[in-house]
Amino acid sequence: MTQTAAAKAADVLLGVRRNPFGANVPGSETHPAVTIPDAVRRCRWIAVDINATGFGLFLVSPSMERARLVPCFDSDYPRVSLHTKFVSGSNGEDLVQHTRVSSLPCWWSSDARSASATTLPALDWAGRISPLVPDSSGIAFPVYAERGQCGLVIFYGTDISLPQAQLHEIHARCFALFSAVAVMRPGDSGKVPSISKRELECLKLTANGFTSEDIAKLLKLSVHTANQYLTNTTQKLNAVNRMHAVAKALRMGLIE
Amino acid sequence: MDSGRFGHMTSLAAQHQDTGIPAVKLTSRGDLTGFLMQLTATIGADSYMLVAILHDQDKSDARILASNWIYDAIELAGHQLIANLATSALAVAPGIRPRGIVTAHAPALGSVLSGEEAKLLHVLGHCEIYALKLNVGRQRLFILFSAAVPGQIDIGALMKAQVECCYALSQAPALVAAASMQDPLSDRERECLFWVSEGKTTDEVAVILGVSSNTVNSYITHAIRKFSASNRAMAVATAIRSGII
Repeated sequence: MTQTAAAKAADVLLGVRRNPFGANVPGSETHPAVTIPDAVRRCRWIAVDINATGFGLFLVSPSMERARLVPCFDSDYPRVSLHTKFVSGSNGEDLVQHTRVSSLPCWWSSDARSASATTLPALDWAGRISPLVPDSSGIAFPVYAERGQCGLVIFYGTDISLPQAQLHEIHARCFALFSAVAVMRPGDSGKVPSISKRELECLKLTANGFTSEDIAKLLKLSVHTANQYLTNTTQKLNAVNRMHAVAKALRMGLIE
Repeated sequence: MDSGRFGHMTSLAAQHQDTGIPAVKLTSRGDLTGFLMQLTATIGADSYMLVAILHDQDKSDARILASNWIYDAIELAGHQLIANLATSALAVAPGIRPRGIVTAHAPALGSVLSGEEAKLLHVLGHCEIYALKLNVGRQRLFILFSAAVPGQIDIGALMKAQVECCYALSQAPALVAAASMQDPLSDRERECLFWVSEGKTTDEVAVILGVSSNTVNSYITHAIRKFSASNRAMAVATAIRSGII
């Protein structure tokens, strides 16, 4: 294959991957990123497409007590970039409040002469915020996943190119990326613990308010067996007690 | 909360011309209807229905916020069927390619629609239905788009419309909050329940929040009562299912 032909083939392949709106291939971006490095790679594709020089993915804690952004990964993965340190400090606090109530993207730009300073203000829907990182420009996309998780995908760069027509698509890709990340937990490599059908059944009933005695009666087991199933699940999920196991299983989507 | 705990965003918008003024501002139900009608036409669909799903133990119920379905269609289909459509596995989050439900081929989708229900929707002109998940901040809503002719809806435009809906509804938090589910818990109750869901015991939560164990227990009891749950595990599950924690 000649070099141009190879480049063309790669272009087609990447084009399909990068452009879910135009793609006719089912499952292109729906294919889940299973590990953090996968997710970093996917995020880099998005960054390349809008000509951003850096990126970061942050989580918003469901607890109102925690007012700051929790970093998940950034463009310096596995290290942590300086940008991330600013964003996860007090600079990001307003953005946490915003993300809880609104899905609108936010941008900032502190250098009036940069290309980003003309591109970003031209965007409909996106609102201006005070700079997250001093002397920089960037745009933050609020993202949400299945179990109420919420977070932000942030891109930095002085030459961000993001035409209005692409805004929705880029945001949609951030959504898809986040839902893949949200089912992972730091420290696990994305593998779902193998929990038997019976164990899941017990856990589901626990989530619906049944006690071990109720479950034993319902599934025609002894109370000890029901308890054993629940203990197994709790251990497999690396949880400390039943409540924790139920919460983890729901958040991972193991039970509905 | 509506006019902006994100205060400087709105105030800056007033001062500067270059702040990316929103494409539409929804201030009344009329605006919402106009916006959705236009969006429906843009993607090649005939009908829309915006719903919030209320979780009640293991049952879910649909609350319709806006729709141009004919009255009879809603009456005949019933809220349960609408809730099933919206929460089926076919309803996708933004960024995931949606799949339509072709009501003429309903037997293939037995779990979502029964044959009878599919036939009913078909007769009423909902021949192909797409269910999409929306996020307005942490609030989850659903929108159904349907067309009288399968294949009439442009998928690319549909995926764009999904994000557009999230944006437009974020501009109108009052409209959304008024009609959809309310978070019944107080801040303290929510915090306690969150820590319980993280596997903390009553004593640990008491230390974290700096109150006594009795106080923590009483917050949790209140939360359990508000959800009419039978124990802690169920209260935690209900709160996670409805996206409160």
